[in-house]
Amino acid sequence: MSRTKEKLGNFTQLDAPKYEDVLQCMRCGFCLPTCPTFALTGRERSSPRGRVALARAVAEQKLEFTDAVKQEAFFCLDCRACTTACPSGVRAGEVMEICRSQSHQQVPLGHVGNSFRKFILQRMLPDPELMERSMLPARLYQRLGIQWLVRHSKALKLGPAWMEKAEGMLPELKAPLRPQLPVITEAVGEKRGRIGFFLGCVMTLMYPDVSRQTVRVLAYQGFDVVTPRATKCCGAPHLSEGDRQTARELALFNLDLFLQADVDYIVTDCAGCGAALKEYEELLDGETEHERLASFRAKVRDVSEFLTEVGLRTGGLKPVQKSVTYHEPCHLCHAQSISRQPRDLIQQIPGVELREMEEASWCCGSAATWGLKFSEESRQVLDRKLDNVRKTEAEILVTANPGCQLQLAWGVRERDLPVQVLHIMELLGEATP
Amino acid sequence: MISKTAIEQLIEKLGAENVASEKEDLLVLGYDSTPGIHCLPEVAVYPTSREGVLAAMEIAGREGLPIVPRGSGTGLSGGSVPVKGGMVLCLNRMNRILEIDEENLTATCEAGVITLDLFNATAARGLFYPPDPGSQKISTLGGNVMEDAGGLRGLKYGVTRDYVMALQCVLPDGSLLTTGGKSVKDVAGYAFKDLLVGSEGTLGIITEITVKLIPPPQAKRTILAYFDDIRAAGEAVSKIIAAKIIPSTMEIMDKATINCVEDYVKIGLPRQMAALLLIEVDGHPAMVEEDAQKVDLILRQVKAAQIHIAKDAEEAGKLAAARRTALSALARVSPTTLLEDATVPRSMLAETFAEIERLTAKYKLTVGTFGHAGDGNLHPTVLCDERNAEEMQRAHAFYDDLYDKVLAWGGTVSGEHGIGLAKKEYLARQIGAGGVKVMKRIKNAFDPKGMLNPGKIFSDDDPSTQSQVEEGFCVSH
Repeated sequence: MSRTKEKLGNFTQLDAPKYEDVLQCMRCGFCLPTCPTFALTGRERSSPRGRVALARAVAEQKLEFTDAVKQEAFFCLDCRACTTACPSGVRAGEVMEICRSQSHQQVPLGHVGNSFRKFILQRMLPDPELMERSMLPARLYQRLGIQWLVRHSKALKLGPAWMEKAEGMLPELKAPLRPQLPVITEAVGEKRGRIGFFLGCVMTLMYPDVSRQTVRVLAYQGFDVVTPRATKCCGAPHLSEGDRQTARELALFNLDLFLQADVDYIVTDCAGCGAALKEYEELLDGETEHERLASFRAKVRDVSEFLTEVGLRTGGLKPVQKSVTYHEPCHLCHAQSISRQPRDLIQQIPGVELREMEEASWCCGSAATWGLKFSEESRQVLDRKLDNVRKTEAEILVTANPGCQLQLAWGVRERDLPVQVLHIMELLGEATP
Repeated sequence: MISKTAIEQLIEKLGAENVASEKEDLLVLGYDSTPGIHCLPEVAVYPTSREGVLAAMEIAGREGLPIVPRGSGTGLSGGSVPVKGGMVLCLNRMNRILEIDEENLTATCEAGVITLDLFNATAARGLFYPPDPGSQKISTLGGNVMEDAGGLRGLKYGVTRDYVMALQCVLPDGSLLTTGGKSVKDVAGYAFKDLLVGSEGTLGIITEITVKLIPPPQAKRTILAYFDDIRAAGEAVSKIIAAKIIPSTMEIMDKATINCVEDYVKIGLPRQMAALLLIEVDGHPAMVEEDAQKVDLILRQVKAAQIHIAKDAEEAGKLAAARRTALSALARVSPTTLLEDATVPRSMLAETFAEIERLTAKYKLTVGTFGHAGDGNLHPTVLCDERNAEEMQRAHAFYDDLYDKVLAWGGTVSGEHGIGLAKKEYLARQIGAGGVKVMKRIKNAFDPKGMLNPGKIFSDDDPSTQSQVEEGFCVSH
């Protein structure tokens, strides 16, 4: 519910945490060893327990919604590792996500910052065509060799750190997938069902080849794949930036679109989208009939979750003679509790040897825009991850979320590690004839 | 209120990154895991060396600030809560393991080392540090020593006290005290070390700890037994002990706890059972085999509904991990989990369960009980809502009655959580006014100005040092 009946303490009425949700924390501290920002700082207020205590203090009017509360809301990676670790069922990440929305109401940005934020969240992201057009300069930038020039001249050293990192993270850009992908891709062999493919923004813009493989794999597995062209952003960036209103508008749109598409399942290959889609039910509570929300929720699957559930057809798969290690995206393992399924899939590919890394479910430091906003901290979190990757000596590092893939591929390039970073669907695509 | 100069001095001595005085930092250092207690300190410091501790204490002394040591804040009696404000001395950045001495079988570490980190580091050298409080993943050694923490292995291996060989600490007057050493025997004078263990930060600030290590058991067997009646489980425990078997672990969970834990861990615990016992026997393989058989026989005699043997170490580990989440998992049900630490002679276990059942009905409460059955140490936990004053009153009456019985049976008001703030009245009931007086004299000998963790274990008589309480929130300035 967006509006609470009564105003809670020093929160505003719109999009405030529920008092029960903060009271639920009994402060046992089980979350502390799982929190990357607490590991970085050793500071209680940068821990899940501390953050929930801050929210509780705001609710109990022991504290105003101060700038420091805002800082902590945004310093939280929203990796949800604490949710997995919490026996009491506290969802500190979600409380912080809601506090981000409070931040914009209570500690607003300056005029320029605000206009920029509004432009990105409210104009650009909701409009797939505008996003595709806006990527054109970046593609030209790569094609015309300017990127080569910029990187070699070290021109970006002069700008802010995030800009250099953002540039460095750009994969080789190809034409966006959305306009190219047929609306219906027909099942191969005996048909097992009809699925709606939710093509995420980052996937179509940055990783068109990955999602192309996803659709090919799903078709090979016996499913008609419907990819509605009108699909809009899932709303995850908005939730992450605290713009819950736009997130709700996008969610309503996608809900209608996919319910009309008359599909058995709604499948995505982006962990961030999957987590957001699964939260529609809560986000849109009271905005539309609950039946529709429940029906939508019942259909949403991450692609690994889906293929494990329906059973992978392994007949005809080509062997991939490679050693693989798997990095768990936070939005898959912590936000959706999907941990076993990707490993099951990887192990079903003939020839693949899965090598477990230590701390596979520890964040890679990407976390939406966190990796750019806190580039130094992000680097430290990434280093911890890459050390664990390196120890496995695996040839391929597999993940299942574009944010992780961007960050890991960048880290591997920067460190010159002999490991290839792939989305799990690329690996499965390689095995699929 | 702390002066600006004092904060500047602290920053100069400890570095700006190790001093916190913003309200948002202080607010989150005013609690531990004890429900209903939240206070606000005036400053927090994170010394990284003994010299830093000394410097911070000197400045606090000059300012007349109470000093409250804190590890990870996982205590269950309010030991690290700054109830009179002052300075919170966070020791969690002093977290180096200094030495693992394989010739003397000891490990020496700073006070802020995480319990499980020490366990892992010693295990990597083929050694064993047994104390394993439920919060071992995050609790600090310093906190364990100050509260004399127990754990799941207490039955056979004892508690933290049984492993402390030497302590290095700073006293309020700035003097350093090193007590104990690596010698197995030591009867030189008063046993300061034993006085300091469990002193809850009221006598000195511990900076370095040397603990005893032992060789790990060669074999282990984990047995899980379910019961239709919790009293049968109590009977099983007494019979196993009477049969002269000392399992390393003998843990109990009642139905409410089983359900909450299963909600979280989802490993297939049977929700309809009245109780379960988690029993682990360890030692030489031949003896483990024999003990496991005897335990199995006793469980059959008392008519356990089901007996299940963990198939491997992984399954055993999962069961122990599940048990460790019991308290936090109970918090799923209600906003407030009021837990106690009553401990009775083991022969009285079945009676204690009956009494808990009777009082639960009498006061119309929801209670989840779990604990270290083999130690006679139970954690009856009232699941309540701190916003409901009337319910809280009933909860306290429940404990009042329970403790009367526990003390009458020769039990104790705290098996392993300490007295802190939460159990001061019960302690006075247990040891009497005379006992409290002697404790105060001892405190006075170490800390004549009453700087260290005031208001803990027993009440301060001086009304001028009472905190101001404002809507359930203690504010010290």
